[in-house]
Amino acid sequence: MAKENYIKLINQKLSEYSHSLLSSDHDPLFLVEQSDLVNICKILKTDSELDYSILIDICAVDYLTYGQADWVTNDATKTGYSRAVEQKIIADDDDEFPDRFAIFYQLLSISNNSRITLKTFTTKSNPPSVPSINKIWNSANWFEREAFDLMGVHFKGHPDLRRILTDYGFIGHPFRKDFPTNGNLEVTYDEDEEKVVYKPVSITTRPSVPRVIRKDND
Amino acid sequence: MGLKKNNDDLIVQQGPGFVTTSVDKLVNWARTGSMWPVTLGLACCGIEMMHSAASRYDTDRFGVFYRPSPRQSDVMIVAGTLCNKMAPPLRKIYDQMAEPKWVISMGSCANGGGYYHHSYSVVRGCDQIIPVDIYVPGCPPTAEALINGIIELQEKIKSEESIANG
Repeated sequence: MAKENYIKLINQKLSEYSHSLLSSDHDPLFLVEQSDLVNICKILKTDSELDYSILIDICAVDYLTYGQADWVTNDATKTGYSRAVEQKIIADDDDEFPDRFAIFYQLLSISNNSRITLKTFTTKSNPPSVPSINKIWNSANWFEREAFDLMGVHFKGHPDLRRILTDYGFIGHPFRKDFPTNGNLEVTYDEDEEKVVYKPVSITTRPSVPRVIRKDND
Repeated sequence: MGLKKNNDDLIVQQGPGFVTTSVDKLVNWARTGSMWPVTLGLACCGIEMMHSAASRYDTDRFGVFYRPSPRQSDVMIVAGTLCNKMAPPLRKIYDQMAEPKWVISMGSCANGGGYYHHSYSVVRGCDQIIPVDIYVPGCPPTAEALINGIIELQEKIKSEESIANG
């Protein structure tokens, strides 16, 4: 089926719910309301013409510093690349995250040989949350745990929302833009206690952007 | 292990059918001839470690073959990135190894964090957790480099005085 017709079919099937096509350059990307997410996913999976039987991946995106470039310059900078060093820390107990986190769902329909992406913003509350789609696709279980672990997005209705990758007792969500790259703790072996202990990190943050002025930026 | 009259040699031939050696040298000869490493591939260095053990490089020639249990091992080859979460298990495996024991740190990550030195989740060198005898540089080191590290460790063991110093 041609892509245009296919997008039309999806629009027709999802006509009950608000959704918008953000991009169709490659695979179609739809923005949906997170309150409609579960219903939309149910239609996409169970409708016999659409048949998105496989959830390929779930991604979380932090838009905190989206669009801010700290190394686009044509001259030597006098101030340095401060954003990477002086981190703008946004406290974890902020009341609101307006449009900060978005979740992307990559879906595959084998019978139609078609892939689409759904994008939804989380709630603005703290912690940010979206409904879990674990009941629709079982593969969402670990994807949602990973997104929770690294981005701190809660998936309402997930059966077992624990950390999956980071250390036991880890504090913070390392993929958030306000998390320091070095982390807060490091491990070492204590000869007296005869066990591995945690201590505050011993190295300082340094810029991770290249100090290169490119002439071809002109 | 020549049969020349030289004090550095393991065995000195004193006459027809009669040789002498020191206990230290004999013990160290036995230790260097059967260094069994605990299988500890943590990342891509583990692949290179497998290459060194497979038929092309064949560390069996040195009496090096990999054991699935720390209780049966003499050497720990830390092959790969050591994460914070893995540090306590690594120390536990090291503590379970029987004396005498040695450690080879293989690759940039195990030597000092390497590519992940500034990461929030990686130990900046496995010598933060366990004492290391030999550091093998590289990212990852080739199988030849690891074998060179094993031979260097053999040289180190040969220079130890195991009986005299307990």
